[in-house]
Amino acid sequence: MIVFASSITDPAAYASCAEPGIRRVAEPDSEVIANSACGSISRSYNLLMDMVAERDDLDALVLLHQDAEIVEPDFCRRIRDALSDPDVGVVGCVGAVGVRSIAWWEGSVTWASFAHRYRELGGGELPGLTWNGDETPAFASTGEVDTVDGFVLVLAPWTVRNIRFDESLGPLHGYDFDFCLQVRAAGRKVVTADFRVVHHHSLDLVSNPESWLAAHMRVAEKWDARMPRASSANGDWKQRARRAEAEAALARTEAVAAMYQADARLKQLQRELAEVTESTSWRITAPLRRIRALGRARRR
Amino acid sequence: MIAYGCPVTAPEIYERHARRGIESVAEPGAKVFGYRATSSIFRSCNIILDSAAACDDLEALVLLHQDAEIADARFNAKVRELMRDPDVAVAGCIGAIGVRSIAWWEGAVTWASFIHRYGEFGGGDLPGFAWKAGKAPPYARTGEVDAVDGFLMVLSPWTVRNVRFDESLGRLHGYDLDFCLQVRAAGRKVVTADLRAVHNHSLDLVSDPEDWAEAHMRIAEKWEGRMPGIGQGGRDWKQRARRAEAEAEAARASAVSKQLQLEAREREYRRIADEIEESISWRITAPLRRANHWRRTTLRRR
Repeated sequence: MIVFASSITDPAAYASCAEPGIRRVAEPDSEVIANSACGSISRSYNLLMDMVAERDDLDALVLLHQDAEIVEPDFCRRIRDALSDPDVGVVGCVGAVGVRSIAWWEGSVTWASFAHRYRELGGGELPGLTWNGDETPAFASTGEVDTVDGFVLVLAPWTVRNIRFDESLGPLHGYDFDFCLQVRAAGRKVVTADFRVVHHHSLDLVSNPESWLAAHMRVAEKWDARMPRASSANGDWKQRARRAEAEAALARTEAVAAMYQADARLKQLQRELAEVTESTSWRITAPLRRIRALGRARRR
Repeated sequence: MIAYGCPVTAPEIYERHARRGIESVAEPGAKVFGYRATSSIFRSCNIILDSAAACDDLEALVLLHQDAEIADARFNAKVRELMRDPDVAVAGCIGAIGVRSIAWWEGAVTWASFIHRYGEFGGGDLPGFAWKAGKAPPYARTGEVDAVDGFLMVLSPWTVRNVRFDESLGRLHGYDLDFCLQVRAAGRKVVTADLRAVHNHSLDLVSDPEDWAEAHMRIAEKWEGRMPGIGQGGRDWKQRARRAEAEAEAARASAVSKQLQLEAREREYRRIADEIEESISWRITAPLRRANHWRRTTLRRR
């Protein structure tokens, strides 16, 4: 049996994203657990794992964020395929190798069959690396990775019974990377598989920077020199601090440059649009559009 | 005599900006050292300083980038006013206090009477917060600072004759902060003043990140413990490294987020533009626009 489970802080988001996705792919005997969040995401997920760990008929536990919508009709068969290797502990649809920190996207992403769907600015979709099956780049491949993105985590029964999320790390960030490290340290594999999921998410990637920084440091400290397959940065601590402070200042400056560029591009677009909306032909036809809008409103 | 100096790598940019600004303010007899740049800005500026140091009647040397244009009718009067204080060694139009690294803008900027003029995306201006007279924020004030931006620096005769850019530091980045630190270490002042200039510069703020990071490290190493603030951040190097590594990755994520927001905004505008272009009222007026275009083209030909 495949169990689908979510920890919910926003019932409306769950009802519009995770729930329809689960309904779309669940098998007749699948169980769906929708819990309210209890404290941190780690604690909430541990509770979900505790609830199913003793089940003898468990084939997989799918932990998904309330804003993650599974759109892969063949989802259950694909995760069963991935879990047919008894060494596989965790499966995801986005993953990377060469990961050194909770910023796993700074490693080399090998698979990303997801779309980031946002509501801001009229809404839109940013497809992941392998979202469009026929446009997959040559370097993309499913298989073993260092970590997967936690918005959808498929756990093998062994994992559900033997590993727990580390509740000491903080409220939200880094729980997925730490979990994958634990699974790998126990000798099991973390892999990506080709199933498609839509992540309904704001365009703000790090919502709470201070908590993110704290999690980054705690996870780095916890796994220092113990990260499987990860080479650590070279140099003594003073040298590392100097380098990192330079890179941090540089990154902040580049973020400011990105903001300047965005503002400049925005001004250009506003100018272009104003050229059209302030043109004589657009202004003289304004009554026509008003009449048309009135007609549409009446029909409604 | 107020002299002007500029290391030139692109003569056309120098002609268009720095030279134009200099010509707008230079007094008769003023010396202009528009020298071809050498391997580093440190070396290039030192050559200019050596030349200016030989002028017995030097009142000040205005050192500026080739893409900087002085836009201040009272520039010379303001420079002379500054030089009346014998302790003032360097003046600029942007400066900050609490500076800890070559990223001086991460300190508290106290004055910025300049415009950043860019050419990308159809061009535009980003005015500094003290550009519009009478509209400066409460924290804006001229006076003593830790460092000024090197795109325009006014140097006193004492500075021209006694201080040199440290050529061991690299090719480009951090030359201004290091120079200001040397001046302050010698007991002189670095100040901001209401000098007005336009910096014609790309929106890319750091063109060669690896050189920049190297300069950041070298200057922190050179000055830590010798000047207050520089290179500081606590003595626990491991903790500092952890924190900075996290901050760097968070800042990179923030830059990506900005990029995604821009892409989303572009799509939104494209949707609106498409709706307009596909509307009946836009399509039925197409002949009018064609006629108008033809009329304008004909008029231009005449």
